[in-house]
Amino acid sequence: MPVKKNTLRLNMLAMFIAIILLQTSIPLIGYIPIGPLEITIIPMTVVVATVLLGTVDGAIIGGIWGLTTFVRAFVWPTSPLAAIVFVNPIISVIPRIMIGVVAGVTYTYLKKHFKSQTASISVAAVLGSLTNTVLVLGLIYLFYKAKAPQLYQINIKELLPYLLGVVGTNGIPEAIFSGIVTPMIGVPVKKIFDRTGR
Amino acid sequence: MSNFLFGRYLPGSSWVHQMSPQSKLMLSFYFVVVIFFANNIWTYAALSGLILLVVLMSGVSIGYFLKGIRPLIWLIVFTVLLQILFSSGGHVYWHFGPFSISDTSLINGGFMFIRCLLIIMISTVLTLTTTPLAIADGVQTVLRPLKKVHFPVDTLALMLSIALRFVPTLMDEMETILNAQRSRGVDFGSGSLRHRISAAVPLLVPLFTGAINHAENLSTAMEARGFTDSEHRSKYRVYRWQRKDTISWAVFLLIGILVLFIRKS
Repeated sequence: MPVKKNTLRLNMLAMFIAIILLQTSIPLIGYIPIGPLEITIIPMTVVVATVLLGTVDGAIIGGIWGLTTFVRAFVWPTSPLAAIVFVNPIISVIPRIMIGVVAGVTYTYLKKHFKSQTASISVAAVLGSLTNTVLVLGLIYLFYKAKAPQLYQINIKELLPYLLGVVGTNGIPEAIFSGIVTPMIGVPVKKIFDRTGR
Repeated sequence: MSNFLFGRYLPGSSWVHQMSPQSKLMLSFYFVVVIFFANNIWTYAALSGLILLVVLMSGVSIGYFLKGIRPLIWLIVFTVLLQILFSSGGHVYWHFGPFSISDTSLINGGFMFIRCLLIIMISTVLTLTTTPLAIADGVQTVLRPLKKVHFPVDTLALMLSIALRFVPTLMDEMETILNAQRSRGVDFGSGSLRHRISAAVPLLVPLFTGAINHAENLSTAMEARGFTDSEHRSKYRVYRWQRKDTISWAVFLLIGILVLFIRKS
């Protein structure tokens, strides 16, 4: 039975939100710890959602991830860095929304001009992942460079190089990782997705 | 499994259990805001007293709270240490390179420790006494004013409750997939970076595929039952504002005003 686009979209979004919630709470499928670093898989979920559902819905999924990060920074922080940085909703939410936007725009553009879906998803994933890292870094810099944060009276200027180091060393492998793995997940899942709803 | 949102609800009929989810949500939020105004021993004492009262009213044994805090204790200690080592000002006792310990940093570190505990306590009370679905309902009520600017509040709330409903289902499926891959000899959680990356793929593809199938089946089921849009739906359980909510708000507001008066200006 063909279902209405609206209902299907609602449920697809709901499922992806469920997956994001699952990934933020179960380490094995949300984060891969490598030594002292942690590589998140969640940006890949956002990119896959963007490829399947479109730019707007990808941005929504990203936004939900951001909101989860924001709430968690208060009640259940994943790291001291999160407890300091992600209590600012602009830093926790906006970069995650932009993952969906950047990946969506890149993917739609590349899909029109190139044949290879694998390559399009790969590039979209790398750019999406980098968007997250660069925006989080940039916003931390913007917010904490000028004035000391009011919530936590830490002298951030001294801490800043450490913060940037941590995020930077995480960000590069994360981008490479998403570039390789996202198409491996995205291509077969898209095949199945295209068969649904008709 | 230790978790911050799911499987923590404890059924009960205490004062806090009976309050409406929307006012519990707003009260928690309000409390967190008030905590950031606290800046001396008396304000923290007042807020700790309030939390103690809330914990007593929730009828949940204190052991549950301690269990909730235990996995976070190292993180809190580490954050407090950062605070102590990196803050500046006051009488300096010891310093080395960028690190220094002063009397103000020690006091601030202590306050930060209490602040973390208080925030974790209030959120634990919320999740222990409110089901995830009730929280989704509360979110819908709290966000209702946004309808004026045509924000799809009802759709969002419906999406959220479907998502929350399917988290345990997807979790079970993931467990099955994990065991299926393990029985084929896949080793998760060890090995080189490349190995771990390639282990993630056979986990996520079936998980996503399963989720897509659920979405499709659920859409069919919903439409077969006449679902048209999420605006005009009725509810099985309606949460109304009660006298308990009013009294709790009155107490919280009083403490909030008290904090504003006795804080160090």
